[in-house]
Formats: sequence, structure tokens, C-alpha cells
Amino acid sequence: MIETILNVVVDGLLIGGIYALIAVGLSLQYGVAKVLNIAHGEFIMLGGFITWTSYKVFGINPLLSVAICGPLIFVLGFVLHLALFKRIRMTSETEGAFEGNSMLACFGLMFIIQNVAILIWGAGIKGYSYLGFPVSFGGGAVFPANRLTTLAVAVIICIVFYLFLSRSHMGKGIRAAAQDPDTAQLVGVDINRVLALCFGFGALMAGLAGTLVSMCYKVEPTMGLEYTIIAIIVVVLGGMGSILGSFLGGILLGLIGSLVSHIEPGLTLASFYLIFMILLLVKPTGIFGK
Amino acid sequence: MLKVENIQAFYGKIQVLRDVNLDINQGELVALVGANGAGKTTLLNTISGLMPKASGSVKFLEKSIDNLLPSQIVEMGFSHIPEGRKLFSGMSVRENLEMGAYPKRAWKKREETLREIYNLFPILEERSAQFASTLSGGQQQMLAMGRGLMSKPRLCAIDEPSNGLAPMAVLELFKIISSLRDQGVTVLLIEQNVKQTLEIADRAYVLENGRVVLEGSSGELLESDHIRKAYMGL
Ligand SMILES: Nc1ncnc2c1ncn2[C@@H]1O[C@H](COP(=O)(O)OP(=O)(O)OP(=O)(O)O)[C@@H](O)[C@H]1O
Ligand SMILES: [Mg+2]
Repeated sequence: MIETILNVVVDGLLIGGIYALIAVGLSLQYGVAKVLNIAHGEFIMLGGFITWTSYKVFGINPLLSVAICGPLIFVLGFVLHLALFKRIRMTSETEGAFEGNSMLACFGLMFIIQNVAILIWGAGIKGYSYLGFPVSFGGGAVFPANRLTTLAVAVIICIVFYLFLSRSHMGKGIRAAAQDPDTAQLVGVDINRVLALCFGFGALMAGLAGTLVSMCYKVEPTMGLEYTIIAIIVVVLGGMGSILGSFLGGILLGLIGSLVSHIEPGLTLASFYLIFMILLLVKPTGIFGK
Repeated sequence: MLKVENIQAFYGKIQVLRDVNLDINQGELVALVGANGAGKTTLLNTISGLMPKASGSVKFLEKSIDNLLPSQIVEMGFSHIPEGRKLFSGMSVRENLEMGAYPKRAWKKREETLREIYNLFPILEERSAQFASTLSGGQQQMLAMGRGLMSKPRLCAIDEPSNGLAPMAVLELFKIISSLRDQGVTVLLIEQNVKQTLEIADRAYVLENGRVVLEGSSGELLESDHIRKAYMGL
């Protein structure tokens, strides 16, 4: 019994770390930049493939590719915002119109990124093995080392980002813009820059999550959607615009998923949708929201 | 110092500013008064770059600021302290003040400026660790003003600071506002509280339905029949 509980909890934490990372990323893009990025999962896929390529082709350690993937995908997100979403924002009459238009643009982006990935890497499944050996905890619970590593890295990334938001000049500007964009501008925050940064950081987190995912699972060009959906559910669960809420929500959803899949693996995703719908009906501000 | 010429502004098809002109000299405390919905906030938003104008031009320190972002206008030394305080409720008093020093030029000197603000508003130092949302109305307005002053502005535009405050708090606030002018900060004070405002202002503009209908020294306006009837109930 104890062993089962330990298994479910650790399993939940392991996947929850990844959920937390991708949800914090989406939270920056949707909560602050107001772009409901349907293509979020595609950035995860890109991160996975870049890591696969740098390992298989160039022999770069997957953990080190965090330093390649992160900056690369950050720049991609940042430039995308300046070239695409900033313009859509300027031509949209209202904030509601912007949310609709930018979501449609993301929809297109999703197909474009998927097709580009198929052109580069082909449509098949790719994988590699890395740190696959088991680590045993007392009481017979055993977990693969790569999954323990991903949890540790995900938590470290979130902590570093949290410190960045609470301590740095730029981070404070992002927090102010998240709370009230107009007033942030009045105290001197360059809103265009902050929105592009948020989109870039959101993409960066997705990319890094992709690196971590690729250490444990196979990657393929169409893998993104499932992660996008999970990210959206977690952002709603944690409360829109709350970065801490997204982090905690990710861990919580990981635990719930682990519990459900222990009972009946086929029901995991269905249980997420159920939670999502109940939340929208009962508490649309999220469990950690006000 | 600030020159506003022929501003027109619309919300959709509805025109809210018609040919507004405003001229503020260095070191003055100028008031902009008018009833609810006259267009005072809209005018300030078009000046500080939050809202686009249909036509007209704004010069600050002899330079056109028509095409600048709000953040660039703040950087030049124009501080807009918004109506309704607009504090960052998820941040502490101290963090709110620090946000006011966001422009690069002010950020380096923020510790020093913070001391000056704490001297001006001692209550803010006492409450520095508290969340902004837990302050009283008067304290919140002081925090909004302190935050606006943290950027070391040359001109400070304050939108309806007395709104919702008790008479004692208004008195205290207005004392501080006139002391700002005495310290060399040029002030544009937007108010509905006409009598008290004219008592501390050097000059004033009266805005009605998006038009400037009267302007002059505070002394002249306090004597004006129109002001006495329409705004002071005399
Ligand atoms: N966001 C908006 N959309 C549409 N109309 C608006 C908007 N904001 C203000 N208005 C209208 O524009 C006119 C001017 O409003 P404004 O807020 O500038 O007045 P004000 O003089 O600041 O009033 P108050 O003293 O009540 O703050 C009003 O008729 C108001 O209804
Ligand atoms: Mg107003």
C-alpha cells in the first residue's frame, strides 16, 4: 500500500514538473501577452527535435542542449511576436478582437511548424536513450534516472525564472505589465518589448520542456497538441495570469493524472477534460485564482 | 514646458475633445477643472501617449512627443499619476514605489529617491512591507503620488487625487501638492474639487464637453460668475 502511494505520488511529481514548465510558459503568453498560443506544443516538439539532433548528429549531451535550445527558441518566439503578434495587436480594435485574431494566427503557426518539422526530420517517430538506468528508493519504488533528472531540471528552471521575475528590473516590468498594462506603461515600461519578451520566454519554456520530454519519451512532429491542451487546462486550473498558480497547477495535474492512470490508464486525458469542464462551470478563475 | 495644440479625440464616433489648447510653463501649478465626463482624463491620456488622438500636437520640453510611446514620454520626465490610483495590488508598498523608478535614468538612483519619498510621505515607510491593497484610500493616493515621483519627473500630471477622500485627507494631500511646486516640480492638477484646487493653483483651465471654455489665473477664476454658479454653488 505505502509502496503504491509512493509510486503514484513520485510518478505524479515527475510528469507534473513538465506540466508545470509548459504551463508557466503558456501563462506568460496568454496571461500577459494575451496570445492563446495553440502552437505552444509545437515549440515543445521543436525543442525535442533540436535536442535529438544535437545528441544524435553532433553528440551533444541532452542536458547541455538546454543551453542551445533555450536561446534558439527564445529568439524564435521574440521575433515572432515582433513580426506577427505586435502587428495584429496594433490592427485589432479591441483586446477581445486581438485575442481572437492572434489565436487564429497561432492555429496557422501550428501547421506551419509541424510541416517544417516534417520536412526537416520526416514524419516518423524519433528517440534516443539517455540516463535510462533505474534508481531505487527505499521500499521497492524504482524510477528511471532520466525522469528524476527532468523533474529536477524543470523545478530549477521555474525557480530561476521566479527569481528573475521578482528580482530583476526586466522581471519587475513583466510583473507590472501582467497586472495592469496601461499603468505599467505610465511608470515607464515599454509594453511592446515586455510582450515580446513574455512570448519569447513562453516559447523558451516550451522548448526546454521539449528537451526534457525527449529524454524520456519519443518525439514526432504531431506530438504537440496533447501538450498544448494540457497547458491550457493547467493555466485555467492555476488561475489566468498567475505564474505561481500555473506552476502549482502543473504539479497538481501531474498528481491527478498519475492517480487516474494507476486506476485506469486509458482515462487520464478524459479525466483532465472533465476537470477542465467542471472548473469552467464552477470556478473559472482557477483554484488558486481570486 | 508643455504645449498642447488643437487636440481632437474620439471614442469610436463620439468626439470627446474639441480643439483643446493648453500651455504650461516651468515651475507652475496649473489646474484643469471640469465636471464628470468633461474629457479631462481623456486629454491627459492623449498627452501621455496612452490614447491616440485624431489630430493636434503635443510638445514637451520643446520637442514633439506625438509619436512617442508612454514609456518614452516618462523617460523624458513627464509623470502621469492616473485617476483611481491604479496601484499594483499584488505588490508591496515598497515594490510599488520601486516600479515608479522603472525608467533607466531613475532606476540607478532609486534608493536615494526612495528616501526622499519616505520623507515626503512618512506613512509609506511605516507600511513599506504591506500589500498596496491594504492601505486606506488616502494612503493609497499618497502611494500613487510617491510612485509617480519616483521617476524624478520635471512635470507631474495628477488626475483627481482628491476623489473619494475625507476632507482632512484632501487638505493634507493638497498641501503636499503645493509643496511639490515649491520644490521645482511643475504640476498639472486635474480636479473636480474646484474651490480648493483654485486656492493652490497659479492658473487654471475649465473644460466643458471637451472644450476649454475658460482660462485664467486662479484669482480671476475664483471671481468669475460662471465658476461661482456652475462649480461652487454660489
Ligand atoms: N473607454 C471609453 N470608451 C468610450 N467612451 C469613453 C471612454 N472613456 C471615457 N469615455 C467618455 O468620454 C467622455 C470623457 O470622459 P473622461 O473620462 O475623459 O472625463 P473626465 O473629465 O475625466 O471625467 P471624470 O471627472 O468623471 O473622471 C465621457 O463622456 C465618457 O463617457
Ligand atoms: Mg477623469
